[in-house]
Amino acid sequence: MDTAISARGKWFLRAFFAFFVFFLYAPLLLLVMFSFNDADVPSFPLSGFTTDAYEQFASNEVLKASVLTSIKVSSIASFAAVGLGLLAAIALVRRQFLAKGAVVALLLSPLVIPYIVFAIALLILFSQIDRLPGIAFPLSIWTLVIGHVVILLPAVILILVPRLERIDVRLEEAAHDLGAGWVRTFRSITLPLIWPALLSAFLIAFVFSFDEIVLASFVAGDATTFPLYLFSQLRFPTLLPQVIAVAVIVFAVSMIVIVLTEIGRRVVERRLQIELDPAKYPAGAE
Amino acid sequence: MSSDTDTVPTPAPPTRRRRVDLGTFGLVGPPVVWLVVFFVVPVIIAGAFSVGILAFFQDEAAFSLDGWIDFLDGSAYLHLFWKSARMSLIVSVIAVLLAYPVAYFMALCAPKRKYVLLLMIIAPFFVSYFLRLLAMKVILGDQGVINSLAYWLGLRDPDDPIPALIYSQPAVIITLVFVYVPLVALPIFVVLENLDRRLLEAATDLGASRLTAFRAVTLPLSLPGVLAGFIFVFVPTLGEYFTPLLVGGTGGFMFGNSIADLYGPSLDWQTGSVLSIFLLAVIALLMVLFGLAGRFLAFRSAPTG
Repeated sequence: MDTAISARGKWFLRAFFAFFVFFLYAPLLLLVMFSFNDADVPSFPLSGFTTDAYEQFASNEVLKASVLTSIKVSSIASFAAVGLGLLAAIALVRRQFLAKGAVVALLLSPLVIPYIVFAIALLILFSQIDRLPGIAFPLSIWTLVIGHVVILLPAVILILVPRLERIDVRLEEAAHDLGAGWVRTFRSITLPLIWPALLSAFLIAFVFSFDEIVLASFVAGDATTFPLYLFSQLRFPTLLPQVIAVAVIVFAVSMIVIVLTEIGRRVVERRLQIELDPAKYPAGAE
Repeated sequence: MSSDTDTVPTPAPPTRRRRVDLGTFGLVGPPVVWLVVFFVVPVIIAGAFSVGILAFFQDEAAFSLDGWIDFLDGSAYLHLFWKSARMSLIVSVIAVLLAYPVAYFMALCAPKRKYVLLLMIIAPFFVSYFLRLLAMKVILGDQGVINSLAYWLGLRDPDDPIPALIYSQPAVIITLVFVYVPLVALPIFVVLENLDRRLLEAATDLGASRLTAFRAVTLPLSLPGVLAGFIFVFVPTLGEYFTPLLVGGTGGFMFGNSIADLYGPSLDWQTGSVLSIFLLAVIALLMVLFGLAGRFLAFRSAPTG
C-alpha cells in the first residue's frame, strides 16, 4: 500500500498538477498563438495565420540593436559573475577564514534586496561619483553590467558551491603533493571537474541578466536593452504582435538553453564521477 | 611558505592544509570588494541621504531626522507599505497553497520522472520574469485575450470589459502568483523528497489513517520547506515594481512604485531614501525572524533520542 497517497488522492493530485502546468504555460502558449495571428491586437476571434510579425522583426533595426545590447551586457556580466563567483566558491568550500559566516551573509545578501531599492542605491552611487571633480562616470551599459554582476553573484555561488563540495579534495592534494602549483592543479584537476557547473552557471546567469529590467531601467542611461525595448513598445499597440513574436523567440531559445544545460550537466557530471570513482558512484546514482 | 605538509592521510576538514596559491584573501577579496563597493556602499549612501547628510543639492545638506519622523508618523507612504505588505502576504499564501500539492505530487507520487517534472515547473521562472509579465498584460487587458473572448462569445458587451481584470489589486496579485509560484515549489519539493518514508509506514502500521499520518508526520516535517518557499515570494514581492506598473493601475500601486516615483519625477531623494532604507530594515528583520523560525522547525523535527 502506498503510505503517502491513496489511489483517489493520487488521481486528484495528478489533475491538480496538470492544472498547475496549464496555469504556468497557457499564457505563454497564448503569446505564441497570437504571434501568428493576422491582426494588430492580440484578441479573439483569431483572424488568420501569418508570419508577418516574424518577418517585420527581421527588418526592425532598433529591435535588433536592443537584442545585441542585451547580449553584450549579459555575456560580460555573466562572465564576470562566474569568475568572481568561482573565486568565492573555492574559498567557501576549501578554506577556513576569519568571519566566514559574515562573508557568506554578504555574498548572498543581494538575493534578498528588492531590485528597485538596489537600482536606486546604485543610481545614487554613480551620480555621486560622477559629481566628484574631474571624474566623468555617465550611466551606460557598463554601469548596468556592474549592477548585474552584483545580483548574479549569489546565484552563481549557489550553483558552484555544491558542485565543488562533491570534488574530492584529495585529488587536488595529490596533484599538489606531486609538485603541481596552484595554477597547474586548478587547470588539470579542478577545472576539468567543474566546467560543466561553470557552463551551467554562465548560461543561467546569462538568461537571467538578459531578462532583467528593473536595474536596466534605472542605471543603463541611454542604452536600450531588449526588455527595455519591449517595455517601450507596449505603448504602441500596433507593434504588439511583433514584440510578442520576438518575446516568443527569446523565450523558446532561453527555455531550450536552460533545459539542455541542465540535462548536459547531469550527463557530463555523472560520467566524470564514474570515471573518477566507479565504486562510490554506481551507475544510475545521481 | 607552506611547509606544514602533514603526512597523515586522515580524512579531515580541508583546513588542515595551507597551500602556496592565490591565498585565501586572493580568493575572497575580489568578490567581497565588488559587493562592498557596488552593494554595501550604495546602501550606506542611501542611508546618508535619508538623514540629510547628503542631498540632491549639496549646499542644502544638513543632518536631520525629519524625513524619518514624517514617514513614520502615519504618512501616506507608511499606509502604502502596509497595503503592499498585505498584498505580498496574500500572494505568498496563495503561492504556497498552490505549490504544496504540486511538490507533494512530484516528490511522493511520481518516482520515475520527478526531476523532469521539477525542471518543467522551475524552468519558466529562470527564463522570463518580464516576458511572463507581458503575457499577463496581454491576457488581462481591456482588449486582451480574456475580455475579447468574452465579447466574441457574447458574454459581455465590448464597451463593458470585465471590471478589475486589469489595473487593480487582484490583477497584481494574480500576476505575482503566476510569476513567483514555480520558485515556491522548489524548497517544498526538496524537503518532501528527503522525507524518510519509513516514518509514514510506521505511522500507518500504528493505525494512523493517511490523513492523520500527513498531519502528524509529513506536514510538520515539511514546514521548513514551506517557510523557505514563503520567504522566496514574500521578500521580493515586498519591493515589487514592474508588476504594479504594468497591470496595477492606481489601485495596484505598491511601495516599490512610490520609491521609484520619489527618485524620478518627484526628485525627493531624501524621502525616497527613507522608504528604501525602511524596506531594507524590514527585510533584514524578517530574515532574522525567519532564520530563528527555521532553526526552531529544524530543531523540532530533528530525530530525538
